[in-house]
Parts: sequence; C-alpha cells; structure tokens
Amino acid sequence: MQHDASPGSFTTALSGRVLTAVLMFGIFVTMTLMALGFPEKARLMPLLAGVPGSVLAFIAVLQEFRKVGVDNEPDESARGNERQMLVWMMRYFLGILAFGFLYAGPVLVLAFLRFAKREPLAIAAAGAAGTWGVLYGLFELTFQIPLFDGLVLEWLAA
Amino acid sequence: MDMSGIFAALLAVIGSPYHLLLLLIAVPTGMFFGAVPGLGGKLGIVLAIPFVFGMDPLAGAIFLVAMHAVVHTGGSIPSIVFGVPGTGPDAATIVDGLPMTRNGEAGRAIGAALGASAVGGVIGGLFLLAILPLLRPVVLAFGPSEFLLLALFGILFIALLSGDSLIKGLIIGLFGLMMACVNLDPQTGSQRYTFDQLFLWDGIDIITAVLGIFAIPEMIALGVAGGSIAGRRAQGSNYGLSGVIRGLGDVFRHWGLTLRTSLIGAFIGMVPGLGGDAASWICYGHAVQSSKTPERFGKGAVEGVIAPETANNSKEGGSLLPTLFFGVPGSSGMAILLGAFVMLGITPGPELALEGMDVVLTLIWALMIANVLAVALFFALAPAFGYLSYVRGSLLIPFVFTLTYLGSYLSQRAWENLVLLTALGGLGYLMKKYDWPRPPFVIGLILGPIMEDSFHKAWALWGPAFLLRPGALSMLALIAVSLGVYIRQTRRSSTEFPHAA
Repeated sequence: MQHDASPGSFTTALSGRVLTAVLMFGIFVTMTLMALGFPEKARLMPLLAGVPGSVLAFIAVLQEFRKVGVDNEPDESARGNERQMLVWMMRYFLGILAFGFLYAGPVLVLAFLRFAKREPLAIAAAGAAGTWGVLYGLFELTFQIPLFDGLVLEWLAA
Repeated sequence: MDMSGIFAALLAVIGSPYHLLLLLIAVPTGMFFGAVPGLGGKLGIVLAIPFVFGMDPLAGAIFLVAMHAVVHTGGSIPSIVFGVPGTGPDAATIVDGLPMTRNGEAGRAIGAALGASAVGGVIGGLFLLAILPLLRPVVLAFGPSEFLLLALFGILFIALLSGDSLIKGLIIGLFGLMMACVNLDPQTGSQRYTFDQLFLWDGIDIITAVLGIFAIPEMIALGVAGGSIAGRRAQGSNYGLSGVIRGLGDVFRHWGLTLRTSLIGAFIGMVPGLGGDAASWICYGHAVQSSKTPERFGKGAVEGVIAPETANNSKEGGSLLPTLFFGVPGSSGMAILLGAFVMLGITPGPELALEGMDVVLTLIWALMIANVLAVALFFALAPAFGYLSYVRGSLLIPFVFTLTYLGSYLSQRAWENLVLLTALGGLGYLMKKYDWPRPPFVIGLILGPIMEDSFHKAWALWGPAFLLRPGALSMLALIAVSLGVYIRQTRRSSTEFPHAA
C-alpha cells in the first residue's frame, strides 16, 4: 500500500512491517507447537506446513528488519482515517453480533454515512432505508431466508 | 456419438420457445446470484429447486444448468468494480480487475470479463463434446498421488506470482494450508485448532475467508484513501460502451491465452475432487508466467482478467462430465446441481452415457447458449456497472460492509463466522498494507484438504514410492519447470532492472 511521503521518523512503517512479520512467525510457531500434541496422523499436515512456514516466517522477519527506512511514515490524516475505519469495522461486527442484520444493518449505514462521512441526512436515511429494504425485502420476504437476529435480541426473546 | 444426435440436441434447445424462455429467465437470475456477494450459485440453485420442482426433467435441468453456467459471469462485476468477489473463484479476477478500475478502465475490464466468460463457457462446452468418448480413462488415470502433486503445484504456482517476495508468497500459501487444518481430522476424528468450537469442526468457511482477506481490507483501504474506487475523475471513453467493446476485443486479441486458459479450466473442472475453485488461480498463474511482461500483472493487466474469467466458465463445462457420468461432482456447485438432477428424475452415473446421451448433449448446448446469452443480455448494461466505481467510497463502504457480514453469515448460518470474518479482515488489511500477497492464502485453504486426503491415500497405497508413479513424475516435472522458469525470469528481470527491487 502506498503512503503519502512525508519526512519524519520511520517508526510507524517499520513497526507495522516488522510486527506483521512477527505476527505471522508467532502464528506459525504456535500452531506448529500445538500440532505436536495431536495424534500421529492428525499432526502430519500441520507439521508439513508449519515447520517450513516457521522457518520462512523467521526469514521474513529478518528481511523486514532490513527494510528499515524504505517506507515513509504515513501522514496524520491517513492514520486518522485508518483508525476511523478500523473502529467502524469493529462497530459493524459488534452491532450485527448484538442486534442482528435487520436492526443493526440500517442503523450502522445511517450512522456511518451521517457521522463518519458527514453525508446529508437525506442521503444517510435513504441509504439506511435501502439497506433495510434489501435485507428484509429480498432476503427475508422474497427468499424466505431468516437472518441473524443478534445475540442480545435472541437472549431477550428466549 | 453421431453428429445427428449432437444437432438434434441443439434443436431441442433453440427450437423450443419454452426452453428459450427458461434460458432467458435463468441467465439474468444466475448472473444476479453471482453478482451479489454472499449469494453465489449454490444458493441460487438451492433457491431455484422449489421453482423447477414438477417441471419436465429436461426443462428443469436446462434451467439449473443455464443458471449455474453464468454465475461467475455475474460474479466478475463486483470483483472488478468493488474488489468484492461475488463467489470464491471470482477472487482471482480482483488481482488485476480492481487495479484496472482504479486506472479508470472498469468498462474495459468488465467487457473483457464478459467476453472471456462467454468464450470460456463455449469452449468448455465444446471441450466437453470433444472429450466425451475419451472421458473414462482420462478421469480414472488420476490417482491420489497425482491429486496431491497437482494441489502442491497449484499452491506453488500462486506463490510464484507473489510479486517481489517469493518467500512471502510461500508463507501465505503455507498459512492457508495451516488454516485448512482447522477441523476435525478426517483420519483420526481428533480436533485440530478448533478450541471446542462446533462451527470449526468442518473447517474454516471458504466464503468467510475470501470475504475477510479481500473484501474487508479493500473497504478499509478505500475509507483510508477517500474518494471513489476509481480514484480519479471519470474518463468518458473508458467508461462508455467503447471501453466495454475494447475489453471484448482484448479477449480476441489475446486469443492464444483465451484458448489455453479455457482448455486448462475445462480440464481442471473435469477432475473430480480437485475443485474448480482452483482453476481461476491456476489460469491466472499461467497468464503471468506466459507473459513477456509479467511485471504488469497486479497493476491492471487485462490478461489478468481474461485468464481467470475464461477458466471460471470453462470449468463448469469440464465439471459437468464427472458429475453426469460418474455421479462425482467436479466442483462444490456441481454437488448441489447433482442433488437437483436427482430430484428432477435425472440420475447421474455411467447409465446416463448409455441411455441418456440426448439429455447430456442438450445440457451441454444449454450451457454454451447461456454463456453467449449472458453477454447479449448484459453487454449494453456493462457501462453502467463501470460508472458504479465512481460512486463516492463513503457511500459504498457501509453497504459492502453489510453485504460482507451478511455473506459470511449466510454461507453457514453461523454467527461465529462473523468473529472469524472480523479477525481475518484485520489480518487481511495488515497483509494488504505491508505487501503480503493474499491470493496464496485462498488457494492453500481450498487445496489443503485435498492435499492431506490424497497424501494419506497415496502413502497407504504405495508408501514413498507414490512419487515414482508416472503421473506423479509428470507433475513433479511440471513443478520443476515452473520453478525454473520463475528463477530465470527473476534473474533476467534483476539483470535488466537492477535497481527495481
């Protein structure tokens, strides 16, 4: 991914690159060690993938360390946008998990358009109505596919 | 099999207004299910079963085959315009389709996808007709050792395309294999990495994995960058009908690639158990490897759209073979179709080759005609899809997020998939941001179970000598040649562009 060039330290880009490689290395090592506890036949494939994967991931960590200074630090605006998008991804996840598609879907669309992207209320409301129309009209009504109600609503209904 | 039988079957499709009407309904329906992420062809067939129940068996089968044949034609549109694959195999189209959209060439990419899909579908059907007499010995020649090495070849092939870093490509391919081990071990029944979660017993859902690794990172990146997917002001010529026609022309300009990937796709689709999902990736890999300018791939090369799209549609022709004659589905979509055929009273199996060849031939023609009809119906609408990419990202992101979460949930009706989707989405974003190639993950996940199963079978049958079987040796040679070509190209590239890396 391209970042806007700006002078300054390389800490963010470096830490992100290295940490991603370290994360991959950690996943491989953890899964490989876990595989040792599986029965003989069950651990064969995880070990066949895990051992070379761990070695290669370690090499990738070293390679990423060598790339210090190659990437420029993203500007503050890009970092702010990134934080905002990751927060919204979590809001989507938690909202749908708690209140299901039919309720959380339209509300999240309205909230994202109105508050995150500062769209006019009419557009945000139309987006929410359209989302509800697709979710309810197409899936629930036309295709008769019951959508997830959300853990909170399921708990309340129980 | 005589020529009169072949043309009688054609007449049964185009000479019947009823069958033609069914085709006209089935084609847009199939494209719709392909274009909406999370629906997909399998759900389309399942939902269509109540509608075809009670129909004449042949008419019902024509409807279902035609609908299934064009799912990937529709699926290419969200892949190109939004970077969201309509179905799993459409993910390969993103690699160059989305960059083309960013470069202001969405119309051309969609035209190429439509043309390639149609040509691929027709060639897949013709391949099917041609191979009918040779079918049985070819399919039976593939044993577990060949399956294992073919799967290994598929993963290696995709890893070789990983741009600057082969190591990263291999790591992600192996990571996909590791994730494919999250399940109840088929050999021992013991849990592997499931943490006592029931929804993981059958493995990680492919749709959730694809949506997490591709769709969510693209939407986050779009939100970070701001603006539209195209990222530049609209250029009328690129987004009008002329762009679409240019894309269609590209399919014929690259006729050699179109023909080769169609045949490769049809062949892969024909091999039961390998899974047609691999076809698009393998053909994408072939396009890169056979190109004189491989560095253009991943940045908006039209060949990168043509190859997976021809394969996506031609594999359906190939996978119809084992489905109809052995009752062994060549792809997951064909597995659903198999059940639907049985429900209609058409029982797939060797007997169909003896007594039901007229039905088989009619279905092959229906498949080919549906692919051509898909272009005719949607050609005029294609520019409109291109314009969608100029919609502000802020307007698209929430809908795509909703559809992504919906698709993940619907694929298994498990809310736990939402957790998995979010986790993979975060990981996918890190991979996108820090230049880790994502396609090898998907191919590893798809081919992992095939590799494992084939390995155990091959070992039980032949021990380590399974590597010395003629088919296995051929596959090993293919792997060695691919590696050799890659190393040669990399060395040549570093010699010509010493400062590029």
